[in-house]
Amino acid sequence: MTLFILTETSAGYALLKASSRKILKRKDSTEEAFSEQDTCNLLKLKQFQKFDKSQTATNESTAIIEGKVSPLLASLLDTLKSEKAASLAVADPKLGNAINKIPSLKIEVISDSSTADVYRAIRTHLSSLIPGLFPSDVSTMTLGLAHSLSRHKLKFSPDKVDIMIVQAIGLLDDLDKELNTYAMRVKEWYGWHFPEMSRIINDNLAYARVVINMGMRSNAVNADLTTILPEEIEAAVKAAAEVSMGTEITEEDLTNIKLLAEQVVEFTEFRQNLSNYLSARMTAIAPNLTMLVGELVGARLIAHAGSLMNLAKSPASTIQILGAEKALFRALKTKHDTPKYGLIFHASLIGQATGRNKGKIARMLATKAAIGLRVDAFAEGQGADVAEEERLALAVESRAKIERRLRVLEGKPLLPKGVAVGPNGKLGSTPGKWEVKEARKYNPDADGLAGDEPAASVAKKPREKKRRRDGDDDVERTEGSKERNLEEEEEDEEMQDAEPVTPKVSSKSKLEANGTDSKKKSKKEAAEADERQYGAQAKELGISVKKYKKRLDQGKIKLDADGNPVVVSKKASRKSKRERSDAEGSEQEKSRKKKKENSEEKEKSKKRKEKGLSAA
Amino acid sequence: MNFAPRGRGGGGRGASRGFSASRGGGARGGTRGGFGGGRGAPRGGRGDSRGGRGGRGGRGAPRGGRGGARGGAKVVVVCSLVVLMPYKSNCLKEAFPRHSGVFVARGKEDMLLTKNLTPGESVYGEKRITIDTPASSATGDGNAVTTKTEYRVWNPFRSKLAAGILGGLENIYIKPGAKVLYLGAASGTSVSHVADIVGPTGIVFAVEFSHRSGRDLINMATHRTNVIPIIEDARHPLRYRMLVSMVDVIFADVAQPDQARIVGLNAHMYLKEKGGVLISIKANCIDSTAAPEEVFAREVQKMREEKIKPKEQLTLGKYKFSL
Repeated sequence: MTLFILTETSAGYALLKASSRKILKRKDSTEEAFSEQDTCNLLKLKQFQKFDKSQTATNESTAIIEGKVSPLLASLLDTLKSEKAASLAVADPKLGNAINKIPSLKIEVISDSSTADVYRAIRTHLSSLIPGLFPSDVSTMTLGLAHSLSRHKLKFSPDKVDIMIVQAIGLLDDLDKELNTYAMRVKEWYGWHFPEMSRIINDNLAYARVVINMGMRSNAVNADLTTILPEEIEAAVKAAAEVSMGTEITEEDLTNIKLLAEQVVEFTEFRQNLSNYLSARMTAIAPNLTMLVGELVGARLIAHAGSLMNLAKSPASTIQILGAEKALFRALKTKHDTPKYGLIFHASLIGQATGRNKGKIARMLATKAAIGLRVDAFAEGQGADVAEEERLALAVESRAKIERRLRVLEGKPLLPKGVAVGPNGKLGSTPGKWEVKEARKYNPDADGLAGDEPAASVAKKPREKKRRRDGDDDVERTEGSKERNLEEEEEDEEMQDAEPVTPKVSSKSKLEANGTDSKKKSKKEAAEADERQYGAQAKELGISVKKYKKRLDQGKIKLDADGNPVVVSKKASRKSKRERSDAEGSEQEKSRKKKKENSEEKEKSKKRKEKGLSAA
Repeated sequence: MNFAPRGRGGGGRGASRGFSASRGGGARGGTRGGFGGGRGAPRGGRGDSRGGRGGRGGRGAPRGGRGGARGGAKVVVVCSLVVLMPYKSNCLKEAFPRHSGVFVARGKEDMLLTKNLTPGESVYGEKRITIDTPASSATGDGNAVTTKTEYRVWNPFRSKLAAGILGGLENIYIKPGAKVLYLGAASGTSVSHVADIVGPTGIVFAVEFSHRSGRDLINMATHRTNVIPIIEDARHPLRYRMLVSMVDVIFADVAQPDQARIVGLNAHMYLKEKGGVLISIKANCIDSTAAPEEVFAREVQKMREEKIKPKEQLTLGKYKFSL
């Protein structure tokens, strides 16, 4: 039973023939190692298919790497068609499978590890096995092939689309940083000339545009800023320009400031374009990821992983903490808790969660994103012909699920879904939960109402109010304005009229209201009496009632045994205050001590418990 | 930067190991005993070779007394070549002991050198030193024909192999005429020096997976015909079987958790019997939670299982790589 061995070299395909399959059993680590003489005896060259051009070599090598049978190789293998009961050794199992599938070939393909040592021997003695193939030729062929293969590989790099995203997001971050520095520099620089403007205009772009349009602040009156600013801000700028305390600058200074401002405007526009480009690209290459985490976070994730493929191959746990490597490895080393989120933290779904739920949502979002990513990266038949909705179906569903889960976690009412949704997006007339309700009973309390009471209270209340006010006026202002009084009276009358029209509350509450009314009344009367007394006492001391009240509150006025007011000197009052505060302080301290003791005791008991537990 | 090779550096996380694959029955001894302590500076053996230089010895004299020569003069200098720098009077060049193809420039700061394969060109902006060499060790009549030889400075802080050499590796297996399989070639900075060492008769198969770094690697390789760039994943050595022949040594700097497996796969396919394996292990890349020593020991065990026996181990903590 003959064995053929297919050998791929940079110069061409070589088909070697061995007398038996026993050669595969030989190990070059044993005594019967393949020496040069030995190998040449065992193996004979059957055919050598040379690559005629370097282009051919490249194409053939690419095919071999991909595990495909090229036409050239197929024609070489055709020579084995007539062989019966022979086997063919192939180095690469993938290529072996492909050869096995050639219908005309009735040959057994061996492509397992048993061939390794034979191939080692062949590689070692290649030049002596293949006559006419000189080592120098091989090396030049190899060099040429290596270069063209590598160039080919770089040229048709599979992740060239992701590279664009990686670069765009990198540039976007750089631009943001630069833009901020430039804008701050414009504000700082132009601020010497017109410091008030940075207060009025917060927006960097608007500021730069105004600088370009207006130039010197003396020009503010003539400048037309309507396209840049809303009217009131424009007016504010013009007003501020009139009275600005900024220094004068020369035309030359202004030219340079303007150049910088133009840069800011240009950069801002560029940034806008770039961000549009990025979102378009993201929705094109990773629609599900973009739907779940947004294009910026999605792009950052891809950039961090290197390519969409790499990201799609990583597990959800990795996606969750991508960007928090430092914290992760620190946590792993010190055996602490690992971080809950990395770059994904900036996704809007996580932003909606609060506190502990952030971590949970991050985990869920990462899992859904991992699934979505795999669909984006590996799903087949996803060209332009597939509808947008179809491609996004997974992400839309996942997002809805996470949102629902978030609402559950946060204790918010669930959003209605399915057939129950009414036209306004809210729950339709769905039957709610059925509950047993107590039957309405007749309220006997309502009967105990005295017939004249509500009317009396209604009539009394406003008058009472009025009188009190009048009294106040008498004491405080001594001369109240008649007009105001009149107005108030009118109001009161209106209220009187209005009173009966007000919708009837249950009689019970009305009763209560009446009760409070009467209480109020008595309180008011007492207050009035006090007022009068205060008035008299204030007169005695020669101060206004207001002052008197204030001082009384502060304890500066005390009533002696006869009820005559006595002004306490400031010193005395301070003293008494201090005493009071001291007493309070000591009390506070006591209470604090008590608390401390309490907490200590608690801790002790806790420890005791723990000890007990551990002992148990 | 005075690098008389002595002892192991302080405990860092990086380590470079030399391995020898002995697939046959000829088992080697275990790891070498602690080297370095007794070995002196390479300068130690310089004196005798200087005599042959003819009339220019005088200028080199002041250097002789410089306080190197630690630990006695046990070292045997393989090929001592002492030449004065033309533009820097205090700069001498000599061959690195043990490693042919590697040179040392003595001066205010000692530098590691390799002979530039493409004179007049820097690969990554490194310094170049041109040295006049007497064509045939200075003919007697004084008008010796001198040839200019250009060397490139090899920074041990940028290359783990250079750091390993300075750290005192006994055998790097990479020597003129050798075939080297370089896994993890990156931009080709270290590869260019390896290509310098192996010279025009040797070959370096430089494998790199990253397309971005591969671009620079290909650029470098276009100027050095002994470098064969391969943009492939080293995990699948079959993919470059038509390009790579049997090699004398595998240098691996792949920094992957499964790098022992990667090296094993490549060694089984392409390494000659009793060839050398140099593997750089970054403990952090394999297991960031375990202690570095433990990680190194584990990797060595894995290599043993691949029939690759450890010969020397060196910690490169002294050289902080900006990776």
